[in-house]
Amino acid sequence: MTEMFANLSLGFGVALTLKNIALCFTGCLVGTLIGVLPGVGPIATIAMLLPITFGLDPVGALIMLAGIYYGAQYGGSTTAILVNIPGEATAVVTTLDGHQMAKQGRAGVALGTAAIGSFVAGCFATLIIAALGAPLTKLALLFGPAEYFSLMVMGLCFAVVLARGSILKAFCMIMLGLLLSTVGTDLETGQERMTFGFPPLSDGIDFAVLAMGVFGFAEVLRNLENPETRDVVRTKIGRLLPSWEDIKQSIAPCLRGTFIGGTLGILPGNGAVLGPFASYTIEKKLAKDPSRFGRGAIEGVAGPESANNAGAQTAFIPLLTLGIPPNAVMALMVGAMTIHGIIPGPQVMTKNPDLFWGMIASMWIGNLMLLIINLPLVGVWVKLLQVPYRLMFPAILIFCSIGIYSVNNQPVDVAFTALFGLFGYLLIKLGFEPAPMLLGFVLGKLMEEKLRQALIISRGSFMTFIERPISAGLLLVAVAILVIALLPSMSKKRDEVFTE
Amino acid sequence: MSLNKIEAARGWRVRSTQDLAAGLFMIALAGLALFLSRDLATGTLRQIGPGMLPKAFAWICAGLGALLAVNSLRYNGEKLSGWSWRGVLFVLGAAVVFGLTIRGFEIGPLKVPQLGMLVSGPLVVLISGLAAEDVRLKELVIFAIAMTTGCALLFKYALGLPIPLAPWLLGI
Amino acid sequence: MKTLALGLAAALALALPAQAQSKYPERPITMIVPFAAGGPTDIIARIVSENMSKTLGQQIVVENVAGAGGTTGITRAVTAAPDGYTIAMGHLGTFSAAPATYPGLKYDPINGMQTIGLAGGTPILIVAKKAFAPKDLKEFVTFVKANADKVNEAHAGVGSVSWTTCTLLKGQLGVPKLNSVAYRGTGPALNDLVSGQVDFMCDQIVSVAEQIKAGTIKAYAVASAARSPALPDVPTTKEAGLPEYQIEAWNGIAAPKGLPKEAVDKLVDALDKALNDETVKKRLLDLGTVLPTKEERTPAGFAALIKRDADKLSPVLSAAPKQ
Repeated sequence: MTEMFANLSLGFGVALTLKNIALCFTGCLVGTLIGVLPGVGPIATIAMLLPITFGLDPVGALIMLAGIYYGAQYGGSTTAILVNIPGEATAVVTTLDGHQMAKQGRAGVALGTAAIGSFVAGCFATLIIAALGAPLTKLALLFGPAEYFSLMVMGLCFAVVLARGSILKAFCMIMLGLLLSTVGTDLETGQERMTFGFPPLSDGIDFAVLAMGVFGFAEVLRNLENPETRDVVRTKIGRLLPSWEDIKQSIAPCLRGTFIGGTLGILPGNGAVLGPFASYTIEKKLAKDPSRFGRGAIEGVAGPESANNAGAQTAFIPLLTLGIPPNAVMALMVGAMTIHGIIPGPQVMTKNPDLFWGMIASMWIGNLMLLIINLPLVGVWVKLLQVPYRLMFPAILIFCSIGIYSVNNQPVDVAFTALFGLFGYLLIKLGFEPAPMLLGFVLGKLMEEKLRQALIISRGSFMTFIERPISAGLLLVAVAILVIALLPSMSKKRDEVFTE
Repeated sequence: MSLNKIEAARGWRVRSTQDLAAGLFMIALAGLALFLSRDLATGTLRQIGPGMLPKAFAWICAGLGALLAVNSLRYNGEKLSGWSWRGVLFVLGAAVVFGLTIRGFEIGPLKVPQLGMLVSGPLVVLISGLAAEDVRLKELVIFAIAMTTGCALLFKYALGLPIPLAPWLLGI
Repeated sequence: MKTLALGLAAALALALPAQAQSKYPERPITMIVPFAAGGPTDIIARIVSENMSKTLGQQIVVENVAGAGGTTGITRAVTAAPDGYTIAMGHLGTFSAAPATYPGLKYDPINGMQTIGLAGGTPILIVAKKAFAPKDLKEFVTFVKANADKVNEAHAGVGSVSWTTCTLLKGQLGVPKLNSVAYRGTGPALNDLVSGQVDFMCDQIVSVAEQIKAGTIKAYAVASAARSPALPDVPTTKEAGLPEYQIEAWNGIAAPKGLPKEAVDKLVDALDKALNDETVKKRLLDLGTVLPTKEERTPAGFAALIKRDADKLSPVLSAAPKQ
């Protein structure tokens, strides 16, 4: 314990120099400003901003990058709440209730709750990393392909609970998401699958392209159709910050979300994606009146946002202690560290203690900065909603186009986004909700990869999923979730299954 | 809108055009996926081939679609509503135009020179803006220029992104 | 509005007379990196291009065009106008392995582009989980051949450096059908190697060196001519008894075919100067990179390297079980 505080004080000594505070602040600010652009999620933001840190010293560069990362995470949530466009998989859940809150004139409260929830989660996660970083590493190594596959199955069962209307339609969307995830070059054989022989599809469908299309563009089309609903958001402004009542309602979801997100974040292969979904599922199940979810329930913002931020932070654990990046954002961090001559590995902690602890300290400072920057900004963001819609959506379009183009510098990605916009509009017309599809899409890639790995290693025996205790446990949870989700609808509330 | 068993029992006719269309849509997509993955090896459990999961997912999609379609004959639900072609044309068209002009494009006889963001940017705003029923042309033109200038300053200069501005004019 | 018009006019006035002269380079050069920012190729591109910019007097802007194992970006670069303002940093995969891996490839690395020079070679290591039975490379070879149905090899996906080099190894060992577990990237593969889910893999030194130093995985050999200063205890394949396994994951610069000689010379010179710069050298060596020889820094020397490795890889990769 004393050692931990000695280490933390070393870290704060490094992070609290005037220069590093300034870098952290700039990083958070720029990250927020870029991340808030529709269509630009954390991965795109970091990839875009990585080069501006190349001129700094290693510690400064990493502190600034951490700031950019948190800023981008929060910026992504802001877009999800304000314009219903998730910049990345973890923000999908925030659109469900966050945007509904915005429509009810509670955008400020939603943004404030997200910021405060993220801060609380960030504080806890920082402590967890500092105290338990090294022992928790073992958790990452316990998860082989079999465990991971079972975790994905469990995640897909969560998706059913996300459904707002018909469960049958939610199932359709999950399967469609899984199907879309198989488009592209097969990882194992290199064969092209369902690409129409079209080279830009050979890497599969990009998440940003799909999300921007089915959420962003389709939402614009839906709004253009109903001039009366699109103005709801801008006529009501309401409170800017959460009331005491709101905060009381959010505390428990926030803490549960922190725990869930923090645990899943440590897992290799982007376990953090599941955090917000799992948190949302649990809040919905624990709620006295689950029907409020999807209609602007504050717990549906507080829980997932905390889970999101806690996961974003604990995802650093495998990187800092094992030297293995668990997801795409962390892989970018490896690149950033490498470019500064620090090759992440199990020895970073002992070889560069100032860097290691400085970075952990800067995580906490970054979260604080985020709160300081964003609470005053809430008013500005909410004001943005007052821009007349006839100007708002062309602005969304130009930002989306430039954002999507800049991720891979590929013009064809922009055209694909338009195509998925059409697809998303069709889904809306057919009464489908896109959120479960995105979850299916994100988990599908991982699920197939892990299923095939597990079966190759077990030489084709399905027993591997049941023989391994962690895997079996996860599958049991999955079955339990499904039963809980389906039972009431099978019996007395049958009418809710098939109709809105 | 809620369903009761008396209605469900009474004869088979289309009670929800939306659900029927949704079911057929799922079946059609599944059919397309099955057609596209027809040549992919299914493999065995020991060595799963590239085709196993796409085909499995497609069959499940088709099954769910069929269930949805059958249910649309048994339970009351929403009707299909009309399309807004204006929105589809201008909004999605604008994004496609951006993709075509930002770095130029060539498909067969169609050749678009590399125009860069100073041209693509205003085009996106102008074309998409036409989708709004309350469009004001003068306001839109000024907005297009302002947005493009802002984006150029932000993306090209503040962030240093390698996005072409106007290669035919400025060389960058 | 007015200022914008004025600015455009001014820019036009500046641009026009400049076009009349032919002083290369007179505007920023785009270096296409066919992978995402932060990857090994991107890092080398940024270290080298920063110094080249100083020599050339114009900024080299790195543009990451990721997709299809790097072939998307290279296609764009080598089919661009041959004016010296678009160049590319490719690697072993995009220049030597791609023709065998991607049947529909839209460029010809041997005859269809202008090579500039090699920027650096990255040694390849054969690594295994800590508990893997064989103690050295000789035992490894015997063990793998005898237990071909029990051993699991990991790689970072078809087309990746780890897949390319491991497929070569399996081809040379005569066990092309060894159980091979595909991962999406080096990170997840390494994770499962550290935790012992899979048995061995081949990858670039920059990805695995820290794990070897920390003892979480073990290295059998480095597939280069000489030991790496970063891991002096790891023998070369020649010393350890598998001399035919020689492969490096190099990175080098190429441009569209038909580049004016002036531009080629200036780029070659700038690359050479960058590689002689002490800071650049140190940063590359820290990554475990092997600096190119005088010969490899020339267009002809680099072209010969591409051809040599293509000849080595093509038969194995074409025969690899892709179903």
